Amino acid sequence: MATQANVARQVRGGRYEPLPARSRKSLLRRIGDNRTLLLMCLPAIVFFLVFSYAPMPGVWIAFTNFNYRDGIFGSPFVGLRNFEFLIQSGQLWLLTKNTILYNVAFIVLGNILQIALAIMLNEIRSKYFKKISQAAMFLPYFISVVLVGVIAFNLLNYDTGVVNALIEQSGGDPLKIYSMAGLWPIIIILFWLWQSTGYGSIVYFAAIMGIDNSLFEAAAIDGASAWQRIRYIILPSLKPTFIILLLFSLGGIMSGNFGLFWNLVGNNAALFQTTDIIETSVYRMIISQNNFTSSTAVGLYQSLFGFALVMTCNYVVRKINEDYALF
Amino acid sequence: MRKSLVRTGAAALALAMSVTALAACGPGGGEESGEPTEITMLVLGDKPTNGRLEAMLEKLNVRLEEEANAHLDLFYVEWADWQTQYNVQLLSGDDNVDLITTATDWLFAWENAEKGAFLPLSEEMLQENAPKTWDQVDAAGDWDLTKLDDGQIYFIPEDNFTQWTNHGFFYRGDWATEAGFEDGTITKFEDFTTYFEWVKENQPDAYPWDIAGPNDAALTGYLQGHTDGQTIQQVSAGIYFPFQTTESDPYTVSSWYMEGDELLEAAELAKEWNDIGVWREDALNYDGDTREEFFAGLSGADQHHTQTFVGSIVDNMTKKQPGSDPKFFYWGQENGNYFRDILTHGAMAVSANSANPEKALEVYDVLRNDEEAYKLLNFGIEGTDYVMTDDGKLGYPEGYDSSTDALGSNFWGGRMDEFEPDRVTDAPNKQEIYDELDASAKDYEYSTLVVNKDLIDPTLAAMGGVLSEYIPQLQYGKFDDPAAAIDEMRQKLNDAGYEDARAAIQTDMDAWAEERGLE
Repeated sequence: MATQANVARQVRGGRYEPLPARSRKSLLRRIGDNRTLLLMCLPAIVFFLVFSYAPMPGVWIAFTNFNYRDGIFGSPFVGLRNFEFLIQSGQLWLLTKNTILYNVAFIVLGNILQIALAIMLNEIRSKYFKKISQAAMFLPYFISVVLVGVIAFNLLNYDTGVVNALIEQSGGDPLKIYSMAGLWPIIIILFWLWQSTGYGSIVYFAAIMGIDNSLFEAAAIDGASAWQRIRYIILPSLKPTFIILLLFSLGGIMSGNFGLFWNLVGNNAALFQTTDIIETSVYRMIISQNNFTSSTAVGLYQSLFGFALVMTCNYVVRKINEDYALF
Repeated sequence: MRKSLVRTGAAALALAMSVTALAACGPGGGEESGEPTEITMLVLGDKPTNGRLEAMLEKLNVRLEEEANAHLDLFYVEWADWQTQYNVQLLSGDDNVDLITTATDWLFAWENAEKGAFLPLSEEMLQENAPKTWDQVDAAGDWDLTKLDDGQIYFIPEDNFTQWTNHGFFYRGDWATEAGFEDGTITKFEDFTTYFEWVKENQPDAYPWDIAGPNDAALTGYLQGHTDGQTIQQVSAGIYFPFQTTESDPYTVSSWYMEGDELLEAAELAKEWNDIGVWREDALNYDGDTREEFFAGLSGADQHHTQTFVGSIVDNMTKKQPGSDPKFFYWGQENGNYFRDILTHGAMAVSANSANPEKALEVYDVLRNDEEAYKLLNFGIEGTDYVMTDDGKLGYPEGYDSSTDALGSNFWGGRMDEFEPDRVTDAPNKQEIYDELDASAKDYEYSTLVVNKDLIDPTLAAMGGVLSEYIPQLQYGKFDDPAAAIDEMRQKLNDAGYEDARAAIQTDMDAWAEERGLE
């Protein structure tokens, strides 16, 4: 933005000034020039300073035998000892695998469904039906995950759950769903899709709305079918949106949807093998084991891995098409 | 003009937002001398909402103002997930709490003292600010029970209060009689299988034993009655206590999770109970109040300690389930492997972050030793919260219902026998039960053992992680093959460094035993 402002000034000044112009102006001058913009950014800047940058030195805990009295920097240094057990026990690998696989499933299935939904909404002609179905699909997004957890328990529990009641009524044997680790990836993904698809489809729907109408008119004159319109106009137009969203989600591939996982699974160790992701594991380590060191170690690993991933993705995208890169 | 107005407005808004964000990080206000000091005490329990606590505090604070120029407020760590909430509250370094209820056997006092949550209390500080308490504990010779290896006192023991906190099953004598037990009395842990089966078949509305959340009660109950293992309370891993000695070899540290076949036997029994349907299939994901279920006749058993039984279970069950003949089976009843209460089952610490530690001790001294303050805090206001009967027992006013009208001040870190009258709600056979327990109870020998955990803390944390994965599943019989699961758990505990931790504790045990000429 600063560059744009400078460029505008140069044009108005009517004289050519070769880039880099930024280095020639003093920092103070540039701050002065952009004071209003900077002021508007201030809340965001303060937010990130306080909540993201200020706590960063705390990662030092990962390399210490932390105790509260000596504090973060006074506790004895133990090098990589906190990482040893995490690697040796295979826990770090399990968490990485689960976290990434869940996110891949969320990204792939999520985007496909969202695009499909957006296109279907676009094809609906009845205005009221369109609004109502949109609202109905949007609604689950606003239901707290705590409630989702309660709903899930009441659907799935063995003794009084709805699912098992139906199975029993139709003569089958009830399922011990809360002990069946293999089933939970499906359950979690279904709940996630139910919650997020309607919301996610809005972005794609908006992108469809933004497509130049003359393209559709031309297609209509050429006698394109609805299917051809989707295939040759809508889908290609959604590509930039898709790529931007994909990049954003790749950046978060090492973080999980903590609230959903925690409320669905909680402390049920029988399901950890297939449901434990980095964030639930870190939470449990701190909350029920007061294990500040290992949880910081896992958190640091998550951040570094995620950082590397974002940089790599961005680099690759920049190579392919610079316009699509985030930075 | 309009544009610049908008701009100024936006800028002012942005500025205001950032100032608010920063202000949230600022320090709290100070206080003036002369004004009563506010002292906050952390207690365990669900914060009562019936208004009785506030009414009592108002009166208590008048007394405290006279005696110590201070006011008391209570901070509650509620029962939902209390072990973790308690530790997190202490380790968060919250400076709003001054006095902290603690205990070495159930509230991780050693852990928290070592991690720096408690202020070390010097003798002078205690003598000056809590002189009555100092004299009483000193006369009993109990200060040594509260010291870490730096020789400092970290908390004040509730060492002048008689109670029994050994755990066991509460069950219904009427149902046990029908299940075929003579006199409705069950005397062996395994016999509960018969009882549970009977409940399952004959009481369709009730779970044989409704129990929820991660715990190890079924395993510990079995292990205590089938080994001579004695748990070392100074060392915990997560919420578990994995280190034991045995009565036959009292100075060798081992673990009943690691050695012997008894854990497997316990796990197999748990699996049998799970298959019968003794508890909810999804007990691990359920978080209801199972004691109320027991009172409502919807559970055949409940689990807690003697004090709960004589003080609340008998009274409640007699009123809510007439004829239910509540009974108590305590862990280790078969082989006499249970313990007298240790003197640090209740204790009070001063927070390391307290702004007024001296004043906190002063307040504590009044609460513990001033009869008027003591009665207000523990029993409430005479006439509305309690009445004294003609025969000198503590009773309750007409229409009083303990489930809704309880005071709930939960002062468990300094009760005194001399201020405690018998209560009308006490089990009529309270003394009999106490005498029976007293006849063969053991004393916890290791109260003065100090374990240095600096080097093994990461190991204990790793072990806690492993235990939290396996113990709840073994406890609820969720593994198809408990033997394989136990092998796996033992392997992982070894990988986590069990042997190093054991050896480190053994070193401290050896030094401790040698100092006392024990072999």
